[in-house]
Amino acid sequence: MSVRRHDNGQIILEGHCPAEDAETLLQLLQANPESPVDWTQCSYLHTAVLQVILAVRPARIGACGDAWVRQWVAGDRL
Amino acid sequence: MNALHEQFVTEARELIHQAGDDLIAVEREGASPERIDRIFRAFHTLKGSAGVVELSAMILSLHAAEDLLAAIHGGRMAVTPAMIEVALACLDQVSQWVDDFETQGGLPVHAGQDAQSMAGRIRDLLSEPTSQTSGRSDRSASESAGKDAVPEWLTRLLAAERSKISRHLQEQPGKLVALWYEPRPGCFFDGDDPLALIRAMPNLLALNVEARGAWPPPAELDPYACNLRIQAIAAGSPGDLAGIFRLVADQICVIEIPSEALPGETGARTDGDGRAELVRAILEEQRRVLNAVSRSDDMTGRVSAAARASVNALGYCQRIDLVKLIELAVKPAIALSDAAVLISAIDDALAALASGVGDGGDDTEGGGQLLLSGTDEAGRAATRLLRIDEARIDTLFNLAGELIVAKNSLAHLARRIEDEVGRNELTSAVKQSHESIGRLAGEMHGAILQLRMVPVAQVFRSFPRLVRDMAHRFDKKVACVTHGETEVLDKAIIDRLFEPLLHLVRNALDHGIETSQQRRAAGKAEAATVTISASRVGNRLVIEVSDDGRGIDPQIVRDKARERALLTAEELAALSDEQVLELIFSPGFSTATEVSDISGRGIGMDVVRSTVEQIGGRVSLSSRVGAGTAVRLDLPLNIAMTRIMVVESRGQVFGIPMDAVTETVRLTPDRISYIKGNNAFVLRDRIVPICSLAELMNLPSAPTLPAGSGLLVVIEASGKIVAIEVDAIRDRFEVVLKPMQGLLSEARGYAGTTLLGDGNVLLVLDVKEIVP
Repeated sequence: MSVRRHDNGQIILEGHCPAEDAETLLQLLQANPESPVDWTQCSYLHTAVLQVILAVRPARIGACGDAWVRQWVAGDRL
Repeated sequence: MNALHEQFVTEARELIHQAGDDLIAVEREGASPERIDRIFRAFHTLKGSAGVVELSAMILSLHAAEDLLAAIHGGRMAVTPAMIEVALACLDQVSQWVDDFETQGGLPVHAGQDAQSMAGRIRDLLSEPTSQTSGRSDRSASESAGKDAVPEWLTRLLAAERSKISRHLQEQPGKLVALWYEPRPGCFFDGDDPLALIRAMPNLLALNVEARGAWPPPAELDPYACNLRIQAIAAGSPGDLAGIFRLVADQICVIEIPSEALPGETGARTDGDGRAELVRAILEEQRRVLNAVSRSDDMTGRVSAAARASVNALGYCQRIDLVKLIELAVKPAIALSDAAVLISAIDDALAALASGVGDGGDDTEGGGQLLLSGTDEAGRAATRLLRIDEARIDTLFNLAGELIVAKNSLAHLARRIEDEVGRNELTSAVKQSHESIGRLAGEMHGAILQLRMVPVAQVFRSFPRLVRDMAHRFDKKVACVTHGETEVLDKAIIDRLFEPLLHLVRNALDHGIETSQQRRAAGKAEAATVTISASRVGNRLVIEVSDDGRGIDPQIVRDKARERALLTAEELAALSDEQVLELIFSPGFSTATEVSDISGRGIGMDVVRSTVEQIGGRVSLSSRVGAGTAVRLDLPLNIAMTRIMVVESRGQVFGIPMDAVTETVRLTPDRISYIKGNNAFVLRDRIVPICSLAELMNLPSAPTLPAGSGLLVVIEASGKIVAIEVDAIRDRFEVVLKPMQGLLSEARGYAGTTLLGDGNVLLVLDVKEIVP
């Protein structure tokens, strides 16, 4: 599982995050709207996962670990 | 400070500079959406880069400023002078921190508090109710109406990434293509990953990802209904994108961007008057800001920021004389904590601009942009970066080359004087003077060469991402490791290195690295590694691309070579396994059984070799079946100086590049034998054919000389070894090789010319072309 909720309440995205993670991430965010998302450890974000982040705009911890997203998406629109 | 930090400092200064200019322009001329968008983007990007280098205080300040700009951008608030004031103050603060980061590697201890108070100031403005939402000017509407040919979204995207795009066009002029991509809502179910396609776009320059329709609240969001719209600009033509997007062709719209819409083509080229006007505006703004500074304020930051803006502006209109004027005023102003010194310097500069005295505008066309950064206050040495047009460095470099030639002629003169008048006080003084001029000219040449040296990180940087994208497409697990990024090479070489390296990396991924299953079966780690390393070996730089894949089987290469009729069966049988591997570099050789869309079109390795040889490098390959392949590029540090050997034949002198010469041999006639209609001799168990330079160059025969001096220069070119017979070997020295020009540029067999000390022109041979 590349998305999980840590005991400290943070939602963590790790490694390669495939499309399936979009649903899990959304469910976690729906259940814990205040939880920040730590995406520093993710190496690849599927568009569907990124879309959840764009739509819900949770608080995020650190810079996105996916360098491409960091360069092209996160720097501008988030 | 590592390459990433250096890049951050340079980029941040550019962004601060650009955002500052735009803010001033907004205040002066009103807020056009393009301008606000540009400022917004600059703050966004600044914040993003601050995140990369983890400067949290900077992020805090910028984040607040960005919220303010977002409100303006979204039309929720109108621009007020107070907003510009606070945005500029935020830039000043960030600018100061960038200087601190550069000199001290971090932010000052109180940065957090300063950021809090700055963010507070900005948020106060945000909470103020403003009802002037109609403040967006009518002018902007008429402006955009004039550009019917280009859709509005494209204009916006072009404007947002203007500096990046124009920089790209300056470096690589060419076509740009824009892409509008609305993935189908159900695309995720089909296994599509729309952004993965965008990731695969070569030369991406600008990207915008936005919601197609308003986002529903999280509780109602369908995570698998794609609601995105993607807009992108890349270098290239529509054809380049066809392959990538062929499966979603119904969801995209590709536009070739008309050249008149490109930044830097028409719009950005301002005439001298426009420039002066802009510079005056910037200077006046600095004076205004300085006048408003009270002593209790952050005087140092304000003064240095104002000075920097003024210096940049004056540099922009090429008034270096006035730049000095400002620079001289900075230190006293900071020391006295009194902006008046700087204000009066700015006044003087304004007066000089108005009178047009000493206008240095001789060469205002797209020339060097002067970017002076880090005006230091307490004598801390912040690096001053000077951006200079490459052509100017080249001019300087050519002049230094001429100086070396002139110096060589001085040596000749010194010898002649000594010959004629004998050794005395005068001749030794001339000699001494010659020596010191020679040393200085050499040092100057070296220093100018250093100007052209750039770290290989510039080429290496893009590979980890490329490898990941390619691995994804080949469905292989590959990590890319780079070493030695700080090693430097001449810019001319760096610029030509990307293509060969890309070929090598592609080959490694496509042919070298096995699939995960194959790797598992072979007992290897599932994830393969591609290593790109640079290391300095003496006066050369060795770049090695290696993988831990399946290696190259010499037998397969032999079979392929036979199949493609590159060599006959006998010739192949005579080759050792190492020599067989060399065949991979032959034109028309490709070991890929199937032609894939990324590599294996039968071009590649021969292109790698020829490109590397053109820049004076050598390529070698080593491979172990099952263990991997390594390709070594042995490169000169710069291509400017060529070491040559001067040889004589029939009274004429020629230069031979030393890198082709393996050794020189003097033979007694009995060692020369006549084989297959040609003279040859045996050198360490190899038969080396002998060619006479006089015959190769069709020189008139001179009967007085004994036929065959036995003096041979052994040359290795294109894998062949040949001995060239000459009458005499004269000097060896380093020269600045000039390519053949004019009518002579068509002449084959010559690598170029150089001037000898006595004023004669020396022709330098291209041995590869003259050897049969």
